[in-house]
Amino acid sequence: MWEIFDSDESVRVRSVAAAVAVLLVAIVAQVSVVARLDLPGGRLDLVLVLLASIALLEGPLVGAISGFVAGLVGDLASTHVLGQSALVMCLIGYAVGLVMDAAERSVVVPLAVVGGASVLGTLGYAAMTSLLGEAAMTGGEALGRAVVAGLYAVIVTPFVFPLLLRGGRRLAGDRGRGGR
Amino acid sequence: MGRDTRRSRLVIVALLIAAFTLITLDYRTGRSATGARGVVHSALGGVESGVSDVVRPIGRTVSSLTHPNRYHDRADRLAQENARLRRDLADNDVITRTGKELAALRLLADKGQYTVVPAKVIAIGDVTGTDWTVTINAGKDDGVAADKTVLNADGLVGTVASVTAHTAVVRLACDPNSRIGARLERTQLLGAVAGGQGPSTLVFTVYDASFRVQKGDRLTTFGSMDYVAGVPIGEVTKVTDVGGLSRTAEVKPYVSVGTLDVVGVVVGRPPADPGDRLLPPQPAPAQPSAPAVAPIPADGAPTAPTAATSPGPTPAAGATVDPAGAG
Repeated sequence: MWEIFDSDESVRVRSVAAAVAVLLVAIVAQVSVVARLDLPGGRLDLVLVLLASIALLEGPLVGAISGFVAGLVGDLASTHVLGQSALVMCLIGYAVGLVMDAAERSVVVPLAVVGGASVLGTLGYAAMTSLLGEAAMTGGEALGRAVVAGLYAVIVTPFVFPLLLRGGRRLAGDRGRGGR
Repeated sequence: MGRDTRRSRLVIVALLIAAFTLITLDYRTGRSATGARGVVHSALGGVESGVSDVVRPIGRTVSSLTHPNRYHDRADRLAQENARLRRDLADNDVITRTGKELAALRLLADKGQYTVVPAKVIAIGDVTGTDWTVTINAGKDDGVAADKTVLNADGLVGTVASVTAHTAVVRLACDPNSRIGARLERTQLLGAVAGGQGPSTLVFTVYDASFRVQKGDRLTTFGSMDYVAGVPIGEVTKVTDVGGLSRTAEVKPYVSVGTLDVVGVVVGRPPADPGDRLLPPQPAPAQPSAPAVAPIPADGAPTAPTAATSPGPTPAAGATVDPAGAG
């Protein structure tokens, strides 16, 4: 599988590493800072917001791999079944990466995509837990939380997305390559 | 570059297969904090502990730092001084609050003769938000072990799900996998309290269908090898099933999940250390349930009737019974 990264894709390894690093920070921030805020109605899923933004900037490959790795770490740090958030985050990263071209067209697209990814991701987590027979909430609650997560995601995206964009440009600039 | 190529499809298929394999394997083998999981738990636990130590004071004082008047020297100096004073005040607030919580916890523990390891919550939930767990900054080195009861000044919080050297993951009572033996006050009828209905509802099942559960009845833990007896759980808000072989009721827990901060892990039922302050004799913290309960310390611990329940502990007693008004 590693020949995928060989020749022209050595660049990719660095973006994946950077993406995973960002997501790991987000995982800690999520449980230690965001969860403590006790936001009304539900929760902001910082990890999903960052993952969707990264995938939107870097494409499906980076999105899928970094989502998988970050999800796996999140699983390892939790008490639920291993691989369940790895699966969801991998799929989200891949799906969001597929629409990366559309993101350059309008400012609204990243907002909508990141918000949508938060909704879908939250629903995905809930679906996974109920498939595995550990449902923590009913369908209606899950839907409500998903919508709330989407709203919070739309609120923070304007702050997070430009930061990541700049970070990604700098990473690309270091390599002496313009743009992505 | 980065479009949907054959290669990226290949990668995602491989990742999906890996995820499914992991899920299948892990689902069948059960979960414990060993191996890779243990490593991640202790590594992240350390980071989380540091992060919460830093973030907690900052979060409370961030408002005091954003002072607009920064143009003139004098105003600047005053603003700085003001900010510093406010920061001190906020710090004092935090310290006072923590102190109060600790004192309340201490009173509850003393009344139950529990040996308690106090700890702070350093992480809430997990990445997905589907786990009803919290991570606390006490672990194996502090004497915490799996399956121990965790409480705070209001009552039962949950049980320890896994431990590392310096952190532990606590499964909250409202987790769908949580099942804790409970009994109604004034009775010895065994039942179980389970989660899965969200953070502010527990489901209580009495195994004796002939017993009438009523709204307003209060619950404490039943106690077994791992769980201590007599920890207040909550109050029945609605009787849901009156037919069949068992009865179920909805219970509103005394502990609110959103505001968890200082908790205590019950590491010893009988006073193991002589230096412990476990003098008051009432093992049942809920006042009214005290006479009839005479809980069953499995080891026949000395229930010496010193009758020394001085008026001192009343504030905490008020705190534990307080939700009666909230029902």
